[in-house]
Amino acid sequence: MKRFRRRRSLGDSIFSIMNGIFMLLVMVVTLYPFLNTIAVSFNNGLDTIRGGIYLWPREWTLQNYVSVFQNPNLTQAAFVSVARTVVGTVVQLFCTAMLAYVLSRKEYMFNKLVTTLFVVTMYFSGGLIPGYMLIKQVGLLNSFWVYIIPGLIGVFNMIVIRTYIQGLSEGLIESAKMDGAGDFRIFMRIVLPLSKPVLATVALFIAVGQWNSWFDSMLYTAGNRNLTTLQYELMKLLSSATSQGGTVNVDSYKNVTNMVTPVSIRAAITVVTAMPIVLLYPFLQKYFVTGLTIGGVKE
Amino acid sequence: MMKKDVRKRIKYSALLALILVIALAGCTPGSSSKGETTADGRELKQFSAFFAVPGKIAPDDNRVLKAIEEKTGVRVTMDWLTGQTAKERIGVLIAGGEYPDFIDGSDGTQQLVAAGALVPLEDYIDKYPNIKNYLGEDWKKMKNTTDGHIYFIPQFGNIQEKSMKVTHDGEAFWIQKAVLEWDNYPTIKTLDQYFDLIERYKAAHPTVDGQPTIGFEIISYDWRYFALENPPLFMAGYPNEGAAIVDKETLTAKNYNTIPEAKAYFKKINEAYHQGLVDNETFTANYDQYISKISTGRVLGMVDQGWQFLDAEASLVKQKLYDKTYVPLSITLSEDVKGRYQNNPILNVNGGLAITKSCEDIEGALQYINDLLDPEIEVLRTWGQEGVDYQVDDKGVFSRNEEQRANSKDPDWVLANTGSPLVYFPHHEGMTADGKNALDPKEQPEEYLATLNDIDKKVLKAYGYTKFTDFLEPAEENEPWFPIYTYNFEPNKPETIARQKMDDVKRKWLPKVIMTSPAEFDKAWEEYQATLKESADIKAYEDALTEEVRRRMELWG
Amino acid sequence: MAKKELQPSLKTSHIPAGTSWIGYNLSRMKSQRQLMWMSFPFIAFIAIFAYGPLWGWLMAFQNYRPGIGFMEQDWVGVDHFRTLFTDPTFLRVIRNTLAMSLISLFLGFVGSIGLALLLNELRMILFKRVVQTVSYLPHFLSWIIVTGIVANVLSTETGIVNVLLTKLGLIDAPINFFAEPKYFWGIVGLSSMWKEIGWGTIIYLAAMASINPSLYEAASIDGAGRFRKMFNVTLPSIKPTIIILLIINVGNVLNAGFEIQYLLGNGLVQDVSETIDIFVLKYGINLGNYSLATAAGIFKSVVSLVLIFIANGIAKSLGEERLI
Repeated sequence: MKRFRRRRSLGDSIFSIMNGIFMLLVMVVTLYPFLNTIAVSFNNGLDTIRGGIYLWPREWTLQNYVSVFQNPNLTQAAFVSVARTVVGTVVQLFCTAMLAYVLSRKEYMFNKLVTTLFVVTMYFSGGLIPGYMLIKQVGLLNSFWVYIIPGLIGVFNMIVIRTYIQGLSEGLIESAKMDGAGDFRIFMRIVLPLSKPVLATVALFIAVGQWNSWFDSMLYTAGNRNLTTLQYELMKLLSSATSQGGTVNVDSYKNVTNMVTPVSIRAAITVVTAMPIVLLYPFLQKYFVTGLTIGGVKE
Repeated sequence: MMKKDVRKRIKYSALLALILVIALAGCTPGSSSKGETTADGRELKQFSAFFAVPGKIAPDDNRVLKAIEEKTGVRVTMDWLTGQTAKERIGVLIAGGEYPDFIDGSDGTQQLVAAGALVPLEDYIDKYPNIKNYLGEDWKKMKNTTDGHIYFIPQFGNIQEKSMKVTHDGEAFWIQKAVLEWDNYPTIKTLDQYFDLIERYKAAHPTVDGQPTIGFEIISYDWRYFALENPPLFMAGYPNEGAAIVDKETLTAKNYNTIPEAKAYFKKINEAYHQGLVDNETFTANYDQYISKISTGRVLGMVDQGWQFLDAEASLVKQKLYDKTYVPLSITLSEDVKGRYQNNPILNVNGGLAITKSCEDIEGALQYINDLLDPEIEVLRTWGQEGVDYQVDDKGVFSRNEEQRANSKDPDWVLANTGSPLVYFPHHEGMTADGKNALDPKEQPEEYLATLNDIDKKVLKAYGYTKFTDFLEPAEENEPWFPIYTYNFEPNKPETIARQKMDDVKRKWLPKVIMTSPAEFDKAWEEYQATLKESADIKAYEDALTEEVRRRMELWG
Repeated sequence: MAKKELQPSLKTSHIPAGTSWIGYNLSRMKSQRQLMWMSFPFIAFIAIFAYGPLWGWLMAFQNYRPGIGFMEQDWVGVDHFRTLFTDPTFLRVIRNTLAMSLISLFLGFVGSIGLALLLNELRMILFKRVVQTVSYLPHFLSWIIVTGIVANVLSTETGIVNVLLTKLGLIDAPINFFAEPKYFWGIVGLSSMWKEIGWGTIIYLAAMASINPSLYEAASIDGAGRFRKMFNVTLPSIKPTIIILLIINVGNVLNAGFEIQYLLGNGLVQDVSETIDIFVLKYGINLGNYSLATAAGIFKSVVSLVLIFIANGIAKSLGEERLI
């Protein structure tokens, strides 16, 4: 591409400038809510409710974060969250990609049947109670694996990877077959490396899903406090801040000045939980934003 | 070259995953506090509890909690509702068939009863004097209507000696202290007087702090909208039964949306709206916006339950805008009708703390409840530790010094020291067993006085009152059926669906009739009434509640 | 692309003469045994975890109450379905759901694809990455935070939109956007787009990352400008992804969610704001009526499946990429 860079026409330059301006606009519009949340998270809760906090705190405080971090279970919960995110992402990405590879093979006998079998599951669920009973019957209740196993195959992700693999050059796979490579070998040696952009994408989807989920923690691991996740602990905190008639008996509530309000605690929680993902993002991003440098990928 | 790279990475990831899994497996089982003992060497009993209401996360150990643990020899691990409705959560628990030792099912209590998940308590109670004494006359009310068993012990509304309430957190028409002061402390009884005062004040003070003055707010957001729809029952002089008004003579329940007082009330609000006294955004503002407006000090009045805007008042106090905080008023349509905005605490006959059949030590669990009701421990639960959190004088009256008061205002300190999460265990309200003190420190007269600022004192003095609840008529004796909203609305019943339908119609139509031009009001009102009658099976609703009133009357009347 | 058509398919016409159908398939299975191993565990998985709990659908034909044996429940036939379809409110919430889904679907697709295309045109990699990172941030804010900001932006008193419109002289008095049903769907659509636009680009950027640079070079040699390259190279290359996502999302038109509508809605606009999920929440979950909620769920599933098969069929007949 470099060769063509010098030959930019006037139209080209105008387009680039307009595009750049437009992108700046997009940034302003999408950055605002996040900056606003950060500002609120550092602002005194009782002051925030007056409104009018935009990009900068009016009354600085760390109180909101103190409230978030005073939970003694938080370290353990964060550890579980990291563990489920790492293990879940690796295991689920691998399984999903493997199935995607199988279903990208036209010669696979049950292709249509199996694809249908998986695709339709995106559109139904047996409901909360049957789901719970299943988890109980297969012995996943109060086990770490309840975070991993039920989500082993993400059907949407599988379809995304499959579509990508289908776009790869068939020639590479064919020639590997000629050399006597089995499907598993081809999957590991050829397809996986060539699918980096989509794998990075799906890894992000899975990781975000794992990191953010709390409902399974609440539902399935209530009997083992060691398996609680960060998100669930923070959900509980938020729910208690939002509930009225809380149990902590603060006398003459009205005279309290360092109160944490639902709005301020929610902002702090959002910042705490979003930060790791936001920081992780650039590392995955390079795979799909800069693109592959090798040629011959797409027909 | 790519291949090797990826393989390496996969290997590392797999390795990392393995390490994590091993680390996890190593730390997950056990680590429970089995075999822990109290200071005097008794083994610490462990119980679990679930309350199907959103609640404060309890600190696992704070000073007072530890002291209670020492005295009772029991530790309870508590969980609260998060992110689900009570009915949903309980449904899942039942499907799993395993329960915590203690449970308060809230809205899902009847499901627990139906599932046979709860232990009948009536045969045990005689052995536990504190529980027996606590239940007293309410005993018979707790009997299950179908099988006659008693499954739960209510935690709230059990008054010892007498109620010590000093603040009103229920529904009222609120007015800023500044407005009363400006009009030289008038007595406001009727809706007309109320809006007249707001109108005059607003005309004299078109802006507050540079922003336009807002005369009146009605929060209409989400489930918080009840103050939009229920004032007619207060207008007509009934207590807050929530679901209906009940005729004392005929023992008939009637929905309050169709009574003449409803029309009169909304006609007045419609008028006020078009005079510009009601905030334009009041029907579209969300809760945060509502709170935000109040905390700027420019909202003169509103109809709402007191606890809904506590945060806003706290903010006003923090800004030292003491005169912008509120006083509750008892407003009706005419001076002949007596307002019933205050009521005595009520016993929820539909729920309470229960012990489940998963509990292996029922007697130990009941002993714990019994111990918690011990006068000494009850004081510990609310006041904290003697000498540390409060002093006792030679007459047995409790008091705090300045430092202790300051501590009790600091949420972090409270959480680490005295914050007791045991509120969902049975406890008395009102006074201590010896009748010398309020159980709740903030209801202790001396302590209450210490929280009042100069404006508060001035306003109270002007009216000759000692506390802000004096602005409202004292609570009358509760009728036997009160409150009818504790009726158990079962799924698939016509009255249950009717209630939801009425709700839908009201949400849409009440703002509409208020916003319609005054000339059109009568027409809009009729349309609203017609829609209401057409959409909802009002008769089924009223019949079901009437039956419940008569049933309760027969049982407890 | 044409190459794919040459792959053997399941059609029996490919059976070589002289072999039985069973024998042929067995030998095929044998030759594909690695593919079989690679897929069977997952078939077992989906059978247990997705199809296993489907017995729960029977609840729709009962008055289910927890705690009673499943078979001892009251069986009521199709009563709950009848309740749904005779309730005028339900028909209205279907309309609202469809409208809001389609608006969000359209805005989401156009927005994300457009943004991805324009991002792809940015020459400075760092700038591209920064824009992309920033634009995906709102995805991590909960709806309650986003709707809170939306409500403030549109408020009549201090909302920036009303302030701007008034200053520009476009309106005389501030508009109370949430009091008028006609604005609601648009507000929901734009809010969703705002929150998810950056997140939505990720998948397209991944697809673009695999485009062979030589295609652009060839186009340039042919004298194609930026726009032509965008339309003749980039867009066709990501078309399979677009079509697959479109089919998947067509199946989701009855899932417009409830959070945003619940948080932004109010009594004045409830006739247009309430979705199927809100209806189910109000008349099913909140009243403890699981059976009604299940019935509504079945209805949604059936419609979704019908829609994706139709969409898939259309894609197939147009010779496009297809889901199944």
